[in-house]
Amino acid sequence: MRRAGDGGKSPAKPGSSASYSPVSIISPSYETGDFFDEMVAAGGDVRPHYRRLTERLGTLPETEFNQRRAAVDLAFLSRGVTFTVYGDNEGTERIFPFDLIPRIIPSAEWKRLEEGLAQRITALNLFLHDIYHEQKILRDGVVPAALVLGAKHFRREFMNFNVPRGIYVHICGTDLIRDKDGRYLVLEDNLRCPSGASYMIENRAAMRRAFPNVFQSYRVRPVEGYADTLLKSLLHLASSRSEKPNVVLLTPGVYNSAYFEHTFLARQMGIPIVEGRDLVVRDSRVFMRTTSGLVPVDVIYRRIDDDFLDPSVFRPDSMLGVPGLVNAYRAGRVALANAIGTGVADDKVIYAYVPKIIKYYLDQEPLLPNVNTYLASEPADRKYILENIPRLVVKSANEAGGYGMLIGPAATKAECDDFRAKVAAQPRNFIAQDPIMLSRSPTWCDGRLEGRHIDLRPYILYGEKIVVTPGGLTRVALRKGSLVVNSSQGGGSKDTWVLQGDE
Amino acid sequence: MPAPAVPLSRPQSTVMLSRVAHSLYWMSRYIERAENLARLLEVNLQFLLDFQGIDDDALKDHWGSIIASSGSGELFAQHYPVADSRSVTAFLAFDLRNPSSILACVYAARENARMIRDQISLEMWGTINELYLYLKARDAAEVWSAGPNDFFERIKAHSHLFQGLTEATFSRSEGWEFIQFGKFIERADKTTRILDVKYHILLPTAADVGGAIDTAQWQAVLRSASALEAYRRFYVREILPWKAAEFLIFSDSFPRSLHFCVAQVDDLLRRILGETAARPRTEAARISRRLLGELQSRTIPDVLEQGLHEFLLDAQKALDLIGDEVVQTTMFYPIEANPDEQQQQQQQQ
Amino acid sequence: MLLRLLHRTTFVYAGVVRDSFNEVRLRPVDDDRQTCRRFDLRIDPPGSEVRNYGDYYGNEVRYFDVAEAHEQLTIEAISEVETVPDRLRPEVPVVATAANPRAAATELYAEYLAASHYVPLAVELWRETQDVFAISPRHDVWSDTCNLGRHLFKTFQYRPHTTGVNTLATDALAQRMGVCQDFAHVMLGFCRQSGLPARYVSGYFFNNRLRPGEIEASHAWIEVLVPGFGWVGYDPTHDRPVDERYVKIAAGRDYADIRPVSGTYRGAPTRELRVEVTVREAVDAFA
Repeated sequence: MRRAGDGGKSPAKPGSSASYSPVSIISPSYETGDFFDEMVAAGGDVRPHYRRLTERLGTLPETEFNQRRAAVDLAFLSRGVTFTVYGDNEGTERIFPFDLIPRIIPSAEWKRLEEGLAQRITALNLFLHDIYHEQKILRDGVVPAALVLGAKHFRREFMNFNVPRGIYVHICGTDLIRDKDGRYLVLEDNLRCPSGASYMIENRAAMRRAFPNVFQSYRVRPVEGYADTLLKSLLHLASSRSEKPNVVLLTPGVYNSAYFEHTFLARQMGIPIVEGRDLVVRDSRVFMRTTSGLVPVDVIYRRIDDDFLDPSVFRPDSMLGVPGLVNAYRAGRVALANAIGTGVADDKVIYAYVPKIIKYYLDQEPLLPNVNTYLASEPADRKYILENIPRLVVKSANEAGGYGMLIGPAATKAECDDFRAKVAAQPRNFIAQDPIMLSRSPTWCDGRLEGRHIDLRPYILYGEKIVVTPGGLTRVALRKGSLVVNSSQGGGSKDTWVLQGDE
Repeated sequence: MPAPAVPLSRPQSTVMLSRVAHSLYWMSRYIERAENLARLLEVNLQFLLDFQGIDDDALKDHWGSIIASSGSGELFAQHYPVADSRSVTAFLAFDLRNPSSILACVYAARENARMIRDQISLEMWGTINELYLYLKARDAAEVWSAGPNDFFERIKAHSHLFQGLTEATFSRSEGWEFIQFGKFIERADKTTRILDVKYHILLPTAADVGGAIDTAQWQAVLRSASALEAYRRFYVREILPWKAAEFLIFSDSFPRSLHFCVAQVDDLLRRILGETAARPRTEAARISRRLLGELQSRTIPDVLEQGLHEFLLDAQKALDLIGDEVVQTTMFYPIEANPDEQQQQQQQQ
Repeated sequence: MLLRLLHRTTFVYAGVVRDSFNEVRLRPVDDDRQTCRRFDLRIDPPGSEVRNYGDYYGNEVRYFDVAEAHEQLTIEAISEVETVPDRLRPEVPVVATAANPRAAATELYAEYLAASHYVPLAVELWRETQDVFAISPRHDVWSDTCNLGRHLFKTFQYRPHTTGVNTLATDALAQRMGVCQDFAHVMLGFCRQSGLPARYVSGYFFNNRLRPGEIEASHAWIEVLVPGFGWVGYDPTHDRPVDERYVKIAAGRDYADIRPVSGTYRGAPTRELRVEVTVREAVDAFA
């Protein structure tokens, strides 16, 4: 175990006598443990791109640091930057906990990520087009047909559909983690309704207010252009027939946990926010019900899952959707972002095949590797999983938000047995991975800086061209030792600074 | 493709969803309704306390008349055998079986506000929500024994606060028009009912006219509309019944008078329905114009000759028609859950 | 055979309804066993333009909406289909049952072996297939199918009104009775549990011995995949292979995929549902 600032061993460490004052927040007892730490390297040295930050923090008294934290929290509260927790009767609104220590990424590092992410979304888009048309990849046996056809989110209703511009995934949130050696790995893709971009923007605003000088000294690439780029990619989908296309955001409504984000993004883009009951389909065209009559809609940024989108085609009990919407889409009279049926490509089992998918469509090696994954649907893997559950992370193929997951090393025998039974009963629905020693980032915990596990969700927009927003949402597992970063289970977030240069 | 009901006069990004207009309209109406009811009850409770024991005969129908003017006579009779201060207050203030009770109105206002939370300011939402939580935590018996005045004061205070916050924090957009429209149409209706209370009280005997009780009753009517001081400033003399009626019907400066409210309604209608020409196109505007015309040109002797009660009933009908027509035209399928308006599935055997 | 078919569905509502969005799967297919020479769809009230698309299973779907208020909706399909005569249909080859049902050849048909909404892969279905094969050991795909079908035909009773449109294969299996839809679902259960990819077929059957007063209705049967040959139809309700008297409309995993009429509307519930089907041999080419 390494300690940063061990009595004068190496220079330029946080807590070295030059900048350490008894009330500063940088302390000599900061431990990196066995993990890759974002700020402190193996030898105890502060990484070059964090130096300016640690110097500043070294001169910052704890009381002032706490004041800035309080100010940021208050601002979030009064601006209503909240999310609603599922399962609560009244829907409790919570502030997404925010940590003031940013995660910093030098530009060379980011460039590699950007290329890898662009490659991935290109391949996944081609994959989606293929499996909803000729299904060549299935006939060639590269991905087992049963896995795709049996996937929960494979939408038969969408077969042979022609989507505007051939783009299926307009907005993608891919979760990245770093292993012990600091190598970036893709943890999962989110191709349906990825959320969190609003927090990315609000976090940036908060950091500017909290640390204006440090922020400026760093030349951080902006994220504020996100809404603009998003609107452009949505407009790109409108048919050439409409001179001034009407783009709307379709939300499930106030009871949805991400409702804040829906209203935030709609306001930023200057587009109307609507619920299913505000839309009506007439003769395969979609209209908005307004006080001035029916107004045609050309593009819908929908934050409703496929299942609930159209009761005449999908779940008939859905009160959130719009009857006739799918057929208006089919008739080419309205565009949806993301397209229907993208969930088959972010299925956790299909995830294991993404490197092969990249190779098949692009004839390239994946620039960003996957986490090594065992598929319970394969007999050899299944045997391994069942025998080694206490040592593995087991995930259900179709749950989101960290639910339906077992972290073997942290689980009780009863929990392991329960999962063993589930995997044996429905092997198609489970995968397992070796636990990754997720990287850590210094986080303010109960009065001191401690390392906490983090991940990164950059947002990729696919319009006229692919744009990877520099930065994204860094989520942090606030509980000590925890690997779970989701907001609903004790996670928080940090601002992510992608630098113009390398330090 | 169905043509818009009225020409699209606003750029698309500020177009107002029917559902939002509907919620703003009803949120505003329900709050105004709750406030008016609170004032009506408060004044009349006070009135009866003042005259307790003096002349029971003249007073015993007072509560009955309040119920009658509210239009909920039948519903009241179904649940309460006798009209007295306790039962009438319970019915008009706390009974959720009465969709127009203060409680029901506040709950409905809050529900509408919740559905459009992102359209109203945090403070506006906070005010309604606070009132709702306060009411939810109490029951009728508790309030009655603690003295109902506090209760009524709170309703009025929150309503005023809400209106003030709306004035200060709500953008002057199409949404603003729907809020004001709801408020004034409700207020106009309530003013007619306040006046009508006096009608339902048995005609006094010749000896009673001008007597202490008669005067006090008219005073109560004016107080119910918060009009007593304004009336005195205007007329400077004693309260003459027909003067009070004249004030509450025809005054063009008192904000609760029928004339004032209908003038606002007429103006808002033109903006909401896009009525720019001299002759109204829509039925609602026609009715409103006619009503406004009457209020601008008729006199109180006219009205008394026609019959005050009949006049007020006509006004109520006109206001109902105006409201309904606006809802139909601008809000299409009202969201208020009509059990018939639900989705079903068809399948074939 | 040249057959003329009429399929009329009438929904009578208990009041006024609006915003009715519908999809119909009523057009007979064109394949190597039949050709649809004519197809007309009439909707009353007419509603929007009727559009169509080919669904995942290759079935033709027509969709339309009726926005305005109405109290009744009639959907009438009239078609003329020429079926290939029996003598011209090739014999089903003998193809040995694959030892491993998940062999590469059947990988693409995985969903016809997997559980579906109406046909869960219950162990009772599997057990019964084992009973059948104990008596008639497995040999080839087609004869296995016929053996399973014969067993079903012999041990089940055709009884209308004992099941409903939502009855699952397992329920029907437990009661051992039902209508053609149930026979088809149970048959699918048997085939799938035996590693034989099979699918549900909706269509019509020309009954040339129709007795007066006998109700005509649409029919359901199954198709099993014979590797190297294709899908072959078998009718478990009558224990026989599908022949020229059968007209196929649509195929899918089970009834849920081929609903003749489906959709949603807003308003009063359905008071009455009337379905009229007539299947006649066409004497003239047109009428």
